[in-house]
Amino acid sequence: MNDEVRVTVTVNGRRREARVEPRRLLVDFLRHDLGLTGTHIGCEQGVCGACTVLLDGRTARSCLHFAVAVDGSDIRTVEDLASLDELHPIQEMFHRKHALQCGFCTPGFLLTTVELLERTAEPDEGAIREALMNNVCRCTGYANIVDAVAEAAVELRRRKPA
Amino acid sequence: MKPAPFSFVAPESLDEVVQALAEHGDDAQILAGGQSLVPLMNLRLARPEVVVSINRCHELDYIRLVDDRLVVGALVRQIDAETSPLVQAECPLLAKALPHVGLPATRNRGTVCGSLAHCDPLAELPAVALALDAELVLTSAAGERRVPADDFFLTEMTTCIEPGEVVAAVALARQDPSERSALHEVSNGGHAFPVGGVALRWATVDGVCTMARIAAFGVGSVAQRLGDAEKALVGSDLGPEAIAAAVAAARAEVNPTGDIHADADYRRHLVGVLLERGLLEGEAP
Amino acid sequence: MSSDTQGAVGQSVLRREDEYLLRGQGRFVDDLPTPLNTLHLAFVLSPYAHARISEIDASEALALDGVVDVLTGADLAAMVKPIAAQIELPGYSFNTRDVLAADEVRFAGEAVAVVVAESQYLAEDGAELVQVDYEPLPVVTDIAEATDPAAPQVNPTVPGNVYFEGRFATEGVAAGFEAAAHVIAEDFNSNRVTAVPIEPRGCLAVPEQPANLVFYSSTQIHHLLRTALAEFLDVAESTLRVVVPDVGGGFGIKAALYPEEFVCAALALRLRRPVKWIQDRYGALLTDVHARDNHYRVEAAIDDDGIVLALRAEIRTNGGAYSALPFGCTLETTGGARMIVGPYRITEYEYTATAVATHTAPVLAYRGVAQPVCFMAIEGIMDRIARRLGLDPAEVRLRNMVPTAELPWTNIVGVRYDTGSFVESLELAMEMAGYDEFRASQAQGRLVDGKYRGIGICSFTEVSGTGAPGWRARGLTRLPGFDSGTVKVEPTGKVTAFVSHAHSGQGHFTTFAQVVADALGAQLEDVTVVEGDTAAGPYGTNTFASRSAVTGGGALIRASEKARLKLARIAAFMLESTPEDIVVSDGRMHVAGVPSRALSFQEVAETAYAMNTSDLPEGESFGVEETDFYDPPLVTMANATHIAQVAVDAADGTVDIEGYVVVHDCGRVINPMIVDGQVMGGVAQGIGEALMEEFVYDPDGGVRTATLMDYLLPSSVDVPNYQIAHIESPSIDTVGGFKGVGEGGLIGAVAALVNAVADALSDLGVNVNTKPLRPALLSRLIREAGG
Ligand code: FES
Ligand code: FES
Repeated sequence: MNDEVRVTVTVNGRRREARVEPRRLLVDFLRHDLGLTGTHIGCEQGVCGACTVLLDGRTARSCLHFAVAVDGSDIRTVEDLASLDELHPIQEMFHRKHALQCGFCTPGFLLTTVELLERTAEPDEGAIREALMNNVCRCTGYANIVDAVAEAAVELRRRKPA
Repeated sequence: MKPAPFSFVAPESLDEVVQALAEHGDDAQILAGGQSLVPLMNLRLARPEVVVSINRCHELDYIRLVDDRLVVGALVRQIDAETSPLVQAECPLLAKALPHVGLPATRNRGTVCGSLAHCDPLAELPAVALALDAELVLTSAAGERRVPADDFFLTEMTTCIEPGEVVAAVALARQDPSERSALHEVSNGGHAFPVGGVALRWATVDGVCTMARIAAFGVGSVAQRLGDAEKALVGSDLGPEAIAAAVAAARAEVNPTGDIHADADYRRHLVGVLLERGLLEGEAP
Repeated sequence: MSSDTQGAVGQSVLRREDEYLLRGQGRFVDDLPTPLNTLHLAFVLSPYAHARISEIDASEALALDGVVDVLTGADLAAMVKPIAAQIELPGYSFNTRDVLAADEVRFAGEAVAVVVAESQYLAEDGAELVQVDYEPLPVVTDIAEATDPAAPQVNPTVPGNVYFEGRFATEGVAAGFEAAAHVIAEDFNSNRVTAVPIEPRGCLAVPEQPANLVFYSSTQIHHLLRTALAEFLDVAESTLRVVVPDVGGGFGIKAALYPEEFVCAALALRLRRPVKWIQDRYGALLTDVHARDNHYRVEAAIDDDGIVLALRAEIRTNGGAYSALPFGCTLETTGGARMIVGPYRITEYEYTATAVATHTAPVLAYRGVAQPVCFMAIEGIMDRIARRLGLDPAEVRLRNMVPTAELPWTNIVGVRYDTGSFVESLELAMEMAGYDEFRASQAQGRLVDGKYRGIGICSFTEVSGTGAPGWRARGLTRLPGFDSGTVKVEPTGKVTAFVSHAHSGQGHFTTFAQVVADALGAQLEDVTVVEGDTAAGPYGTNTFASRSAVTGGGALIRASEKARLKLARIAAFMLESTPEDIVVSDGRMHVAGVPSRALSFQEVAETAYAMNTSDLPEGESFGVEETDFYDPPLVTMANATHIAQVAVDAADGTVDIEGYVVVHDCGRVINPMIVDGQVMGGVAQGIGEALMEEFVYDPDGGVRTATLMDYLLPSSVDVPNYQIAHIESPSIDTVGGFKGVGEGGLIGAVAALVNAVADALSDLGVNVNTKPLRPALLSRLIREAGG
């Protein structure tokens, strides 16, 4: 039953292959098999969102997926957002607005924001707060995160070629 | 919190799924979105020997009209149902309910049918299925049977799905464009499951209520159709007296239990509050 | 000699720690690279709150491929001494805890065995196979029942389940009550909560030379942890090194010393392999320290003007099954008793403060400690005085507050309020909240459009930066108060500052650099802060109880001043001037009035390190590396006022927070952006505590809230936008003028929200004296009152 099975996924644009036990959680696969430790574990109960990744372009709890079950998928993690020289505009706004303290929850919030701003270019505060329910932050009290997302939306619209 | 070992199969057709189920019987567990199942597996409260993933059965990923019903296949993610123009046009109650289900990330992965099969008493979708006169399409190696929602949900986390069966689809009543519908719930906080909720739809002709479907969730061991409240509305003018009668009937016919999140009296009270709120919301232009 | 750099402190400097965290390059303990031969631990937790362990059969677990060992209480007893908090209070019942329960478990979640395996998955597989025979025993979880003579005894050395009972009374209390025109009395009940940092706890013990063991831990108290490891493992402290990587929130619960850390370190030493333990959320909820399971009975004797003539408090706190390290089970007990007088001129005061033992998780520090509850009580009393006399609640507070002109003021239990702004912060908060307009709008009735609207105030003092005398006053004689700083100007003129703190999200790398830049006269970007490593920098008391700005800031200022003096002496020698004439600014030094006679830090440092041809002045030592220590006074008192506006739905009992104002005074502000962040984060936790969070035990001690589906945390839709303002009353008692700010957000939010809800429902005559204020409770109160 513990027999390992092959998993092939694309992670941050790179094809990755590994043999894992069927029960291996996607989050452990990313963190410990691929070394992408930016994706965190806060509960493994599906509540906190610290483990959020983009799975085929949509936010997903990587603690609620088995690596084998997402074989063939495209996965994006927090490590893919910034370039070597520059933060992603969303990350930049989190920095400027002091939207992180301990930073443990932050990767999840960033990916939630990527999804939100792909779906809705001009979200109002209510829509931002609804979207951010994806994730729990115990440090910031959320207000600065809400601000950062609103500012990031403005910045992304500004950058978008008309 | 890591799951116990299991073996894993991911068939690519419904036929292969039911074969796998037939082979493994009670030991097998269907994995669709996994948003309810995997937390239980992580806690080792669920420990199937064999996990049968339907995520490769693309044939189950459809939403289509079949006669008077809107049929939602087993692989339809909640987010896709929520944003489907077909769902919005034919079953607006479902479209209204879905944003209340789970969280954005769990709706991205969780399926409509998976939530029905899970049968959590706090979940919205079983109540929606009741209010939409749903039929569950259960498939096994022996063939297919269709079970009305009223008979499908038995009690907490328990449906009439037999070993070897999979929910292949749910067929929902198409709502008449003149119908109104609403879903209201209360929870103890943003992430919390509701402590009570009501899903309803109703129709009027010349100011007289001709049809009402009301279902409550979170107020008993399983989602519940509120037949007495429906009766109090049908034939009425939906005026304050009729609403009061329906509210009283609803409170009388639920049998809530108390838990750490809310006591039974509150839940009984809440059913009436939310029913009234839904009916009044429907009045707004 | 003087420093001209006055730029950094007071600025909202953006944080240095952000970039790597945002890139996903944070190094939390579970992110650290682990050697390939690392072993993993899983603990076997008791499902029973009280039971005798009759037998443990590990044979099946041991048979599992990949399980290396299974150890029980008896095995660990040979490796780790029973751990115990040292509290020196008269009448305190000393008690110890085995790191793994050997004979008896005393709360649900207490570990009875540990499985050592090659992976975490395998360790958990093993833990499931360990067969434990428990003989269930009678249980008591409730604070009131604990001292019933019939209650089961929780701990053999805690007679009658009373850990401690403290009493205090001034002479005129009875006279005050006799003279009173009215006596306002109320019982206040507080829910048990826990901090739930999103990163669970964890540690990684790596045997390594030249230390015997490098111990990475998500702790807030690395020096205290190292001392405790040495003591209870009986190894030389000098052979241990504790390193704190990034920590994903602590809020006090990571300022406790836990059995798992001792077990992990002991096993790494014994097995001579790296050993790692990462807690899961289930374990976190069951075994992290809890807080606030308190009951207060408060009586205030008042005159016809609402002035408090005398105050009585009877405080009972649930300490749980063991007195946890390092602060012990009396932390909330003595804290509430000493802090309840707050910003008010209470001149006659009497308390009884009792800590009881129950079969529940140990209780220790969570942001605010006793203060959210003691201010819920005293601020609740202020509102009740107002309602009794038909006065405005703000007016009652203003009449009782110590006015700024009377500061410094020493309160009735001997705590000095050196500076502050009790009246001013209340008045400013009222203005920002539109308090008078809101009150005027209530004249037409509080029920509008189906919602009861109310406003609530919490004006409070916030204990911060406690020094050794402050801990001694609470029996914590083995808890130091000082922290340390070392400022090192490197040969290149860049500055490394070591401080005896460990961050868990507070932004220390930025704020301490601001402090050092100003105190040393360096450029901000040239200062790098190092902390959280017992091998880097001297000893200190570490990071809890809103200490770091006060103690770390003070120590760094002192060390910086010493370093600056040394630089000035060397520069004066090189420039043929006198040290008194050297002006230090922006990383350069020049002769006063002659900016052209100048040297860079690098030029001076090269002399100090003998890396050029200049000589050092006679008698000057090499290098520029200065250390100092700072122990603040008894305590450092910050203050604040919170005002919350709420709407309670008449039909379903839900609460909307429609406005939220904070006016905070933490003395001299180092970084306003970060201070605001602390306040907002605290308020959100206070919202959780006031409205939704509750850790629940069954009557038989079983845990009902073992997941985050049942223990509820506030989300983005549960919190309002906050309006925050600062008043700065620099401390005159502390080096730097700083006061702490870590906990006020939470403290103020609880009472402000409870009072706002009580105000909203006050026309109904209902009594709101408990929390959390969930819809079911409020709806019941409304229905019972016929609303
Ligand atoms: S770790 Fe996945 S939701 Fe918390
Ligand atoms: S920044 Fe610490 S949990 Fe969000």
